[in-house]
Amino acid sequence: MSFFEHHNFFGENPAHLARLINNINTGVWEYNTVTKKAKWSDGFYAILGYAPGEIECSYHNFFENLLYYHDKQTFLKATHYTGPGATPIAHIRLLTKAGGYQWFETSALKHDDGDGQFVYGVLNNINNYKIAEFKAAQAEFMCSETGRIARVGGWEIDAPSMTLHLSREIYNIYELYGDVQLDIEEAISFIEPQYRPVVTKAVEDAINLSKPFDLEVLFKSAKNNVIWVRTKGLPIIDNYGNCIAIRGIFQDIDIIKKSGLSMQSSINLLDDQNKRLQNFAYIVSHNLRSHAGNLKFMVNLFEETKLENDKQEIFSHIKTISDSLSATMGHLDEIVKIQSEIGKERKLVTFRTIFDNVKAILRANIDATAAQINADFSDAPQVNYIPAYLESIFQNLLTNAIKYKHPDRPPVVNCYTQRDDKHTYLIFEDNGIGIDLKRYGDQLFGMYRTFHQNKDAKGIGLFITRNQIEALGGTIDIDSTVNVGTKFTMKLI
Amino acid sequence: MIFERQMVTACIIDDDDIFIYGFKKFIEIKGVFAHILNFSNGKEAIEYLKNPNYAGNLPDVIFVDINMPVMDGWEFTQNFEEIKPLFGKKISVYAISSSVDIKDINRAKNNPVIKDYILKPISESHVADIINSYQPRPGFGGLN
Repeated sequence: MSFFEHHNFFGENPAHLARLINNINTGVWEYNTVTKKAKWSDGFYAILGYAPGEIECSYHNFFENLLYYHDKQTFLKATHYTGPGATPIAHIRLLTKAGGYQWFETSALKHDDGDGQFVYGVLNNINNYKIAEFKAAQAEFMCSETGRIARVGGWEIDAPSMTLHLSREIYNIYELYGDVQLDIEEAISFIEPQYRPVVTKAVEDAINLSKPFDLEVLFKSAKNNVIWVRTKGLPIIDNYGNCIAIRGIFQDIDIIKKSGLSMQSSINLLDDQNKRLQNFAYIVSHNLRSHAGNLKFMVNLFEETKLENDKQEIFSHIKTISDSLSATMGHLDEIVKIQSEIGKERKLVTFRTIFDNVKAILRANIDATAAQINADFSDAPQVNYIPAYLESIFQNLLTNAIKYKHPDRPPVVNCYTQRDDKHTYLIFEDNGIGIDLKRYGDQLFGMYRTFHQNKDAKGIGLFITRNQIEALGGTIDIDSTVNVGTKFTMKLI
Repeated sequence: MIFERQMVTACIIDDDDIFIYGFKKFIEIKGVFAHILNFSNGKEAIEYLKNPNYAGNLPDVIFVDINMPVMDGWEFTQNFEEIKPLFGKKISVYAISSSVDIKDINRAKNNPVIKDYILKPISESHVADIINSYQPRPGFGGLN
């Protein structure tokens, strides 16, 4: 007896075989292509939910009633397979007695015999596997689609080996396609240099101290696109509390981050303007209050005093207050005007023209103090600006240079422009009494701030100058030494 | 025996001439027994207080404006704190300002030198009460 004869059903008695065939949980079928007769095992009926013989055993019944019409093609292809090798396995849906259509796997074999040509095969219910497979495929599709749409991928670092696994979507964000595998160091090297230490530290802390992290960093992809990404990592610990792995996500947050950043800069701008407005409101209220307070004070005195001389003097003070009130209102108008003129069209203005105009207006003061005024606008002769602002800036600075001249020497003013790639600067230097920036630096550009005992000081000029420059997006800086002079550096645009 | 009421010396530091004029005038009209010193900024006042020639005519109470050129009210209180040991008498300091800025008000509250923050326009009777509450002890202050 050969080995095969031992382990085969060869030569078994037919009743034994029939029992085997009928009792296994699988349908066995046979079809004689010549006589068109079909045979189904008891298991065949059973897996369809029927008792043996409960439905008609025929190829016609099977093909027309049990087989889902959509799967007929698949079934025929498998049963009529003539190619080399084993006949393929077909997945088909059959109508069961109580469970509707379910998935089955069928394999067919042909066998030519003396009494005809047979096709036979087995039928297995694979419905649960098939459903699970669909669910898994759907879940994976959902997951990869979610990742693709959200531009987020998953990663994992195995702590003992420090190996890194990245999901497909992460490679997409890296713009690395094809067969690439990054290790931890390589993955971090795509992060922009200023953020690398933070990320490296976060990974170390996660492994050594089990500290989770959530970072937003700049990243440069393989195709040199610099984008904002978010990487979040959670340490996985073993029973002893040691970190065995870090799992995390990696997400392209460029659009959100950039809109967030631009919103933040708008907020800062608004905040700035808000602060200035509030400051302005306080100043106005303070100044108007002090005039109003004085007025009330004087009116009370006027009523209470009996002496005619006093009455006259008090009334002269009331007149002074009235003038001050008008002057304050004038200043307010000027400040409000700055805001309303922002929208006005900027023009290409020539520094020299405006400067000469202002010099002409201040001619009397310049001559009276024997001021020497040097101007050189050759580096940047023109600027796109609101002409009235530039005139006002020149007038305020020149007036200040003369008003706060050093008592021991005539004023010398140097005014010039500079230009770099992006900006135009106006520099204004004088040799006046200067100002102690340590003491007054923070108040210098404030409204109604005066620092010297000068009766002409109104504390309005530099406040307006700063507002005009800032309203057009510029900045003003001051450098000053007491008894030496003052230098204003203005970035106009 | 005739009780002679002694004069209080009050000091007003303010860069606003009209306010100083008014202050003096109301003292006169209200009949407050006070001698008034006035300075247009903190620096002038500190120089006076430091000068040993005026040691006999130091004020009992000072009203100092906050917002002034050269030396403002805050700087004045700092300088005042430093030279306080020279005085040989207690001098009370009140801040007097038209600033309703909460920052100024809180700053005054937290300043140990400043006894109270008086908002302009002042109530004449309130200020008169304050001045009248400073009766100089015999042996000190002006004798005029």
